[in-house]
Amino acid sequence: MANTKRYWSGLDELHKTEAFEAIQSQEFPEAKSTDEFLSDEQLESTHTGRRDFLKFMGFSLTAATLAACETPVVKSIPYTNKPAEITPGVANHYASTYYDGQNFANVLVKTREGRPIFIKPNTATGIAGPNARVNSSVLGLYDSARLTGPLMNGAASDWEVVDSRVRKALSSGGENVVLTNTIMSPSLKRAIAISGLSHVQYDAIDYGAFRKAAEIDFGVNTFPSYKFDQADVIVTIGADFLATFADAVFYEGEWAKNRKPENGKMSRMHAFETNMSLTGSNADYRTTVKPSDHGKVATALLHAITGRSSSSGKLDTLTEAAVKNAAKDLKAAGKNGLVLAGLNDLNIQRVVNAINEALGATGTTVNFERNDLYQGSSNDLAQLTQDMSAGRVNTLIIADCNPSYDAVNATAFSAALEKVNLTVSTSMLPDETASRCRMIAPTHHWLESWGDLQIEGGRIDLVQPTISPLNSTRGWGESLLAWSGQSIDWYTFLRQTHSSDYTPEQMYTSNDWNIAVHNGFIGSDAFEQAAPRYSGESLTSAVAALNDQQGGAFELALYEKSTMGAGQHAANPMLQETPDPLTKVTWDNYVTMAHSDVDAMGLNGFIGQEKPASVVRVTVDDTAMELPVFPMPGQAPGTIGIALGYGRGANGEKVGKAAFQTAENGSFMIDSEGRMVPVGQNVFGWVNASSGEFTHHHQFDVTVEATGGTYPLACTQIHNTFMGRDSIVKETDMASFFAERDAEKGEASWNKLIKLGVHEDINNDGNIDSQDGKPTEAFDLWHEHPVENVGHRWGMTIDLTTCTGCSACVTACHIENNVPVVGKDEVRRHRDMHWLRIDRFFSSDYSLERGEEEGVGVISSYRKMEDPSANPQTVHMPMMCQHCNHAPCETVCPVAATTHSNEGFNQMTYNRCIGTRYCANNCPYKVRRFNWFNYPGYKKFGNFNPAQDSLMRMVLNPDVTVRSRGVMEKCSLCIQMVQSSKLEAKKRGVPVTDDLVSCACSTACSTGAISFGDLNDPSSKVAKTSKNNRAYHALEEIGVKPNIFYMTKVRNTERNEA
Amino acid sequence: MLVMRKVNPVRDFRGFGALLIFFSVFVFGASSPALAGVWDEGDVEAGQALFNANCASCHKVTKEVLAAPGLGGIADRWGASEELLVKWIQNPQAAAESGDSYIKSLVDRYVPTYGWMTAQAVSPDDIQNIMAYVQNPPDVAPVADTGTDCITVDELPIEEASNDGSIWFLLLLVMFLIIAMAAAGVNRSLTNASLEREGEELLGDLPYGERLKNWLWENRAAVSLVGVFFVAYGAVLGYQGLMRVGVVEGYKPSQPVKFIHSVHVCENEVDCKYCHHSAYESKHAGIPSTNVCMNCHKAVKKGRRYGETEIAKIYDAIGFDPLSGTYVDGEGANGYTSPQDTYNGEPIKWNKVHNLPDHVFFSHQQHVVVGGLQCQNCHGDVETYTVGRVANVDDINLLVDKYPGLIELSKPTLTMGWCIECHNKAEIDLASNGYYEEMHARLKDHLRGNEELRKYMEDDKITVKELGGWECAKCHY
Repeated sequence: MANTKRYWSGLDELHKTEAFEAIQSQEFPEAKSTDEFLSDEQLESTHTGRRDFLKFMGFSLTAATLAACETPVVKSIPYTNKPAEITPGVANHYASTYYDGQNFANVLVKTREGRPIFIKPNTATGIAGPNARVNSSVLGLYDSARLTGPLMNGAASDWEVVDSRVRKALSSGGENVVLTNTIMSPSLKRAIAISGLSHVQYDAIDYGAFRKAAEIDFGVNTFPSYKFDQADVIVTIGADFLATFADAVFYEGEWAKNRKPENGKMSRMHAFETNMSLTGSNADYRTTVKPSDHGKVATALLHAITGRSSSSGKLDTLTEAAVKNAAKDLKAAGKNGLVLAGLNDLNIQRVVNAINEALGATGTTVNFERNDLYQGSSNDLAQLTQDMSAGRVNTLIIADCNPSYDAVNATAFSAALEKVNLTVSTSMLPDETASRCRMIAPTHHWLESWGDLQIEGGRIDLVQPTISPLNSTRGWGESLLAWSGQSIDWYTFLRQTHSSDYTPEQMYTSNDWNIAVHNGFIGSDAFEQAAPRYSGESLTSAVAALNDQQGGAFELALYEKSTMGAGQHAANPMLQETPDPLTKVTWDNYVTMAHSDVDAMGLNGFIGQEKPASVVRVTVDDTAMELPVFPMPGQAPGTIGIALGYGRGANGEKVGKAAFQTAENGSFMIDSEGRMVPVGQNVFGWVNASSGEFTHHHQFDVTVEATGGTYPLACTQIHNTFMGRDSIVKETDMASFFAERDAEKGEASWNKLIKLGVHEDINNDGNIDSQDGKPTEAFDLWHEHPVENVGHRWGMTIDLTTCTGCSACVTACHIENNVPVVGKDEVRRHRDMHWLRIDRFFSSDYSLERGEEEGVGVISSYRKMEDPSANPQTVHMPMMCQHCNHAPCETVCPVAATTHSNEGFNQMTYNRCIGTRYCANNCPYKVRRFNWFNYPGYKKFGNFNPAQDSLMRMVLNPDVTVRSRGVMEKCSLCIQMVQSSKLEAKKRGVPVTDDLVSCACSTACSTGAISFGDLNDPSSKVAKTSKNNRAYHALEEIGVKPNIFYMTKVRNTERNEA
Repeated sequence: MLVMRKVNPVRDFRGFGALLIFFSVFVFGASSPALAGVWDEGDVEAGQALFNANCASCHKVTKEVLAAPGLGGIADRWGASEELLVKWIQNPQAAAESGDSYIKSLVDRYVPTYGWMTAQAVSPDDIQNIMAYVQNPPDVAPVADTGTDCITVDELPIEEASNDGSIWFLLLLVMFLIIAMAAAGVNRSLTNASLEREGEELLGDLPYGERLKNWLWENRAAVSLVGVFFVAYGAVLGYQGLMRVGVVEGYKPSQPVKFIHSVHVCENEVDCKYCHHSAYESKHAGIPSTNVCMNCHKAVKKGRRYGETEIAKIYDAIGFDPLSGTYVDGEGANGYTSPQDTYNGEPIKWNKVHNLPDHVFFSHQQHVVVGGLQCQNCHGDVETYTVGRVANVDDINLLVDKYPGLIELSKPTLTMGWCIECHNKAEIDLASNGYYEEMHARLKDHLRGNEELRKYMEDDKITVKELGGWECAKCHY
């Protein structure tokens, strides 16, 4: 069935608001006319006279001329004693492992001349690659806000003094505590045990109820291990497992393994959720439910599957039907079904366990053997806070966590810190907690440290340093050992954890260890242990409690953004500027609200450069906060969502420059109390702690009132529209796909070759009519480029079925290609520099066919297709330069700065470009970006552009030009990586094959949606996928012959619902 | 042990002494002690090999001091104390402790300058052979001082810049004009005087400007011809001047160390890639790190031209004490090859000679390893240079006889014109490796490829340009 859905890129396109129409007609919506400029009355009050002006001009001209005459002397400083493994100009890769308390990823770190500059997946582990937060964490290494050495009472100190003070305090008796997030390192566990300190763990995002439920139901205190690759039917109740839930980095890749329609089957996902999450947007069936109904969905599902208990009548009919549908699929899938709930609530987790057990899924799609994730307990933290305020704690060492920011009761914790005799933080930054501690003994960045991590099974993942510590820092494990009187260095200690007879003499001699460090892990996944049995404890009270949940007029669901997580990366400008995959808003958090509620409250439904968001006051219990409102399709009516992880450094703590808002001139915004204004606001205080032991993210009764105020949001997707053309996204459902699975490319109804009408009787039916068409290939304005079958033809296929929109490719692309960060103000002006963006299109269920059936006219049907849908389907479509073989941009460049290569690249030559911007105007995909400013030098960008920070510029890729003002730039298909792959092939004397060549985005893609290679090489993956019958060109009818192919999205839905 | 293969055994190759000596440790380490008089008849040939491998980097067979005393007449000096000599060679410091007065005199005289002799892992038998060779060196025709073969261009007197001449020309021109004008004045006065005498009308008292104008008008044909010539000449000069903007041929910045390429490359036959090895591994040719210098200069402590002062700069950077012959903070953890890791010396800050703009990507590896270009094709006859400099394209073209296969070019070096000129001339051998074979196969096996291939082969060769070497993004990204 042909895709006749209409996509629109935001509600504003849908409503065709006036401002949107105005912006839509302009590629560069910034023009200010000369008259307007001259009529600026302020100009008259300036004091630069004509003569002064001429003097300055003359001086600058002379200076520029003189400067140009002299060849500058450039120093070249070789190593004095060159390390054998480093050759200047050649990258080295080291296997390591990332863990920040939330994200866990096996990675390879690319270093150049000893500087880590890029993070990519360690494919040897067989585990999917890092997400956006992990791959951009390399910027954190070079954060100039990092402490350069230990601090005592806020003043610089040295390690001996700090050590002796801490040792003295520890030996003075009383309760000594070390507070951490979940520790998964065997060596750190050992160090804590040796130190004899009491150990308290808590996690910013609490998952305690999952463990407790496992303990009750299976007798094992473990986090569930989900096996998404085994699941044929997945029902998620508010668990955003593709982006932020638990070990999402791992889940995303596993989930994608079972989403390949060519394999003959695909998993089907039902999502029940409040906010539109990344997972929900990728679900085959998505149902909006209020926070108070999450539990009822679980009990209804339990009822439908086991017949036990009943929640009848408590859910609305739509949800009821969706639950029945999900239950039907689950029952059919049996042990390959999987139900999971995101809420950290004991009752709902126990119900979910019961459902999985009833399905027989325990042991296949979820198991409870041992998983060390999320051992933290918010209860323990609350107890510790009590002990502290009662003066019962003598010394408190806070390692790798930031409770003064992300604890539910951060204020109480901060106050209690005062009552502790000695407080020591090991934070790298003087963050919210550390700045309140007496001492800061800064730890290494993960790229500077040795470490070991164990999630599950017998496998230990190793962390190895890729650079010497930049500052006088010390790993906190080593600090802990020093304070407990152990004179042993951390590396030796770590080695002894894994082989007790290790001595420093064996440093280089253990072959096993060297191999383990090379591979990034020791041991294997296998974990021999009898599977725990389901205990069958009574669920009656749990079900009753869930069914009794009641919500107020407005309910709140807090969530994490897939870009910002829980706020550890607030100072990462790259992440701040990566648009949220759903709202496409950068640099802020906000209230998401259903459009019906926005209208009902009279708030602004369109956000644009000149149309700021309305501000509402949200009150939870007694605390109120004012936040802007973003109208979000797919938000459950009567609910709001707010992202956690924002508002870092609210009391002026120096958590990094990019965590603070800058004004139009680039200086920090200062509030009435003289403090810098953070980006977004911190809502960790609204985490629900009412159920006692566990905290969760739902508030069932909140008040939302309009304040009448406004606030500008920087949103990347209201411009760059595809103007309602159907040939951009093609999609189908599973049944239709199977019906024409073996169709020739261009024949299947869901991916029909687009033909253009000609005045000729093509089909020989005697009439010249709309049925007569020729494929676009027949119409050529251009001479053929000899790219097919000759030499290389680099190309890419992007599978819309497995693309989740997670944005890991976006950050990877920008780090690899030195793409500038432009800041909120410039994003608002639509001058974002993203080479690779992910277009998110919502769809409507109305179609022309339905209009015909219902007897509605064509125009009215189109209008109806534009009706806002309360719960739309979503498509994520990575969009970058399509490298057209018949590129419209190339023909209009007056200076031939953009040309075509015989390998299929649309090349952009910056040193030739004079910035006419004709090419951008002529680009049908709107993927060209113009450098409006000297981003590496102009002060407006000084507080966040990595190229302007003397330390953070170390992350720039030396193989790629840092572009300056006045030139166009765009995706180059990572030509620097292709060129180096070709050179490698020539050196080895072999053809370039898939294992040699990649792009930053295809490397970063953890679901394998993006593949890159040589279309002329019949053995390459892209050569095969581009001939697949799902492959198509975006905007095929304009005949520009791109080298980028998209693969028709297949949703695993029933035919009649597509 | 790449070095070993590169050494010509009959030449002076002190440069590789340190490595050779240590190499010998492995080769001869297993020899067993034997009691034989070192002055007995030994195998001269074996002795020569041993001498060249172990001793020649510091010792000569004559009495000339190289980096250690010459061995000529050694039997006279050591004659009686055979055992002590063996001990001295095998472990000099231990032998010195014996208190022998001759050894003491040796130590006092040479160790302060050249450092301790490295202990040699040679057996008494080996020593016997070496001594046989030292005492009876085969008659070798006296080799001319290699230094004279090696021309160093930068030491040749540089001609005075030619623009001095044009200044004189201008000066003369001005003087001539003044004289001409004065003469014209005199001429007029005289004419007037004669006219006055003859009672005729005097010449008008027109201003010079008017008269010039009249004169120009009267001679307009000649004046316009000259004018056209000057305008054309000015345009040519201007064009040439502008074309030289950004041309850096001959750029030769001074360097912190008076390094002489000719001494290293020509006299001592050090291969380019011994020091600039990363040209084969990386996009950068690289400036050698100081520890590479030390491979030779651990033994070679005195240069022929500048004595010890320049070599001392290396020692300062890496922390080497030439008197004791040891590194200040001891040897590195990896044994002899790696100097200390902990010494915090100031690195040598060289001035970069070949500066490409940031928007140009150039890979040495591509050109040298894959393209098989010789260093001289771009850098000229470096073996005649002192410090590095940007070679002049005309000078490079002169080398074509000396280095067969060199591609002659016309555009100034390090300009884009020069790069693409070469890309248009340089041929690719499609059978040279598997990568190009695959490219060739794709051309052969497809219809369109065939057309392309025919176009390429019109001149019977496939150039870099034809495979995309003129495309912007080959170098700019």
